[in-house]
Amino acid sequence: MSQRSVIGLFTDEDAAADALDTVRSAGFEQSEYEILTGTPYPEGAFGEEEPVHKLYRFPLIGAACGFIVGLLLTAGTQLAFPLVAGGKPLLSIPPMAIIMYEGTMLGAILFTVFGIVFESRLPRLFMGAYDTRITEGYIGLAITTSEDKTGRAEETLKGAGALEVKRGWES
Amino acid sequence: MHDGHSANGHDAASVSRGLLDRHRAAPIARRIAALTAGVLFLLGIAGFVIKLLDKGTSDPSAWGYYAALVSFLLTAAGGAVMVAIATRLAKAHWRRPISRASEMFAVVTLYTFALLIPLLFALPSLSDHRRSLWFFGELNVPGYMPHIMTTLSFFFLALAGLALLWMSALPDLASLRDSSWGLTGLFNRLSNTWQGTSRQWFVQYHRLGILGALYFMMLVTTHFLFSMDFAMALVPGWIDALFPATHAHNSLHAGAALMLVTMFVLRRFGGYGDYIGLDQFWGLGKLMFALSLLWFWFWFSSFIIFWYGAKPNEQAVLELLMVGPYLPIFMAAFILNFLVPLFTMIWNPLRKSVWGPTIIACGVLLGTFFDRVRLYAASWSVAAADDKHTLREVPAAIMPDVADVMMWVGGLAGAVLVYILAARVIPIISVWEQKELLLYRMHKPFHRLAEVLVLGKKD
Repeated sequence: MSQRSVIGLFTDEDAAADALDTVRSAGFEQSEYEILTGTPYPEGAFGEEEPVHKLYRFPLIGAACGFIVGLLLTAGTQLAFPLVAGGKPLLSIPPMAIIMYEGTMLGAILFTVFGIVFESRLPRLFMGAYDTRITEGYIGLAITTSEDKTGRAEETLKGAGALEVKRGWES
Repeated sequence: MHDGHSANGHDAASVSRGLLDRHRAAPIARRIAALTAGVLFLLGIAGFVIKLLDKGTSDPSAWGYYAALVSFLLTAAGGAVMVAIATRLAKAHWRRPISRASEMFAVVTLYTFALLIPLLFALPSLSDHRRSLWFFGELNVPGYMPHIMTTLSFFFLALAGLALLWMSALPDLASLRDSSWGLTGLFNRLSNTWQGTSRQWFVQYHRLGILGALYFMMLVTTHFLFSMDFAMALVPGWIDALFPATHAHNSLHAGAALMLVTMFVLRRFGGYGDYIGLDQFWGLGKLMFALSLLWFWFWFSSFIIFWYGAKPNEQAVLELLMVGPYLPIFMAAFILNFLVPLFTMIWNPLRKSVWGPTIIACGVLLGTFFDRVRLYAASWSVAAADDKHTLREVPAAIMPDVADVMMWVGGLAGAVLVYILAARVIPIISVWEQKELLLYRMHKPFHRLAEVLVLGKKD
């Protein structure tokens, strides 16, 4: 069943936080509602669940992959074509370290770019319910749910004291 | 609840409206500045064409001043972006009104990348067997390795800067989209369905942090490659492991100076005097002062090795870059970058003012200009020397010709022009960061004081 979203507008932080409690007690899941603001309030300011991200894992995984590739590349080429230079060991750490460092950085950077795109959920092709007054200071409480529950979502938002309730599919 | 906004929402709305109205206005001074910069930029293009027709690209000594221009823009504009990155990482509140102006220099980095491309044709390939990083002749390395690697590094630096600017401006672009100012299609595309969900705000902080770190890494890498391949490798016998780090440090120094001058212009002529105040000049002035002291440390650390070593190649390098034909501009750089800041910025009334740090910053920018001319005009003047291991003869100083002057004037004007054009689209003051400040700022009575300002932090 397709998803639809409705948004209730509030003008006061406490009213928006109370409305979130009402929405939660009306049986909507955490994944179904979100707070929209024009100012970055601290996470959890409205009682919503604090978001988590895995952004820092991306550079770490990328760095590990890059390091391994750098190690295999330097060690592999020297073992495949053994050539003693200046009496140094075949697998000499200082020159290998340069390539391994470059590989580590390259892996970290590429994975970071990918991680930012992934964690930002970019590109986001469609907007849900929205009101332009949010950037002026209003607070939005959007509920995105299955089509058969949108009526209840609208009722809940109105009952929670929303100044106005808008349907995403009509805007 | 009152007049449709919460306590914060009410203030936020007025801050937002005030800043966006100012952004929409197109004051005559800005239009005149853009027009003037545009005309001067055309003059620079004319200078470039004259130089190309007159000298071609086969004589590197003819392109030393152009290389100095590219280096100067990389140094100053590239470093200016770091002001936003470093102070955001330090969670300093005073940086909020200047963050966007700093990030906006990413467009100048892109412009500098465009200026780099003609320079690549003038840089000799490694087939002249000069000493370089790239093991040419020993391994199967292409002769154009410096050209390839510097281009890649520059490109990714510009890309990281633009990504940082775009990500940072997303909420403000959404505000412009919602305010139906015009250019709605453009703002729709640029704001990429930004709604201001909790998750979007949450990720915003983290991606700004990570992109900032990425930009810093690319800045250092680009300075490393550019300084090595476009200066040091061209001078026979110049071997200095500290020089790339010095180059990168100079960038932070000149970047802070450029931001101070930009802040002054925005405050005095841009109508942002109520946002950019003493706090910003004081905070950034101290940073520039510390970097001025570090300027001496970097220079002296290199100098002492060459001076004590005193091998023929080291003496020749000192002669070429410092005590020989370029002594006057080396002294100018030394005085403006180190001595003047040292003996003026230690004085608190001057440091804690708007005019003081701005004037010193102008001196630092001028000093950096002299420093870059000294390094690059001198390096490119000996790029065609036959002996690639020791500089046998130090040539006379190369003086700029008319085309060089035109290219410098036009090149700087072009940078101003792209900055003004970018500021026409993206608000020069970060609206969302100003609104965020309202959440963490309050005035309250304190013992016998009628009122003190209390600033909070999120963490």
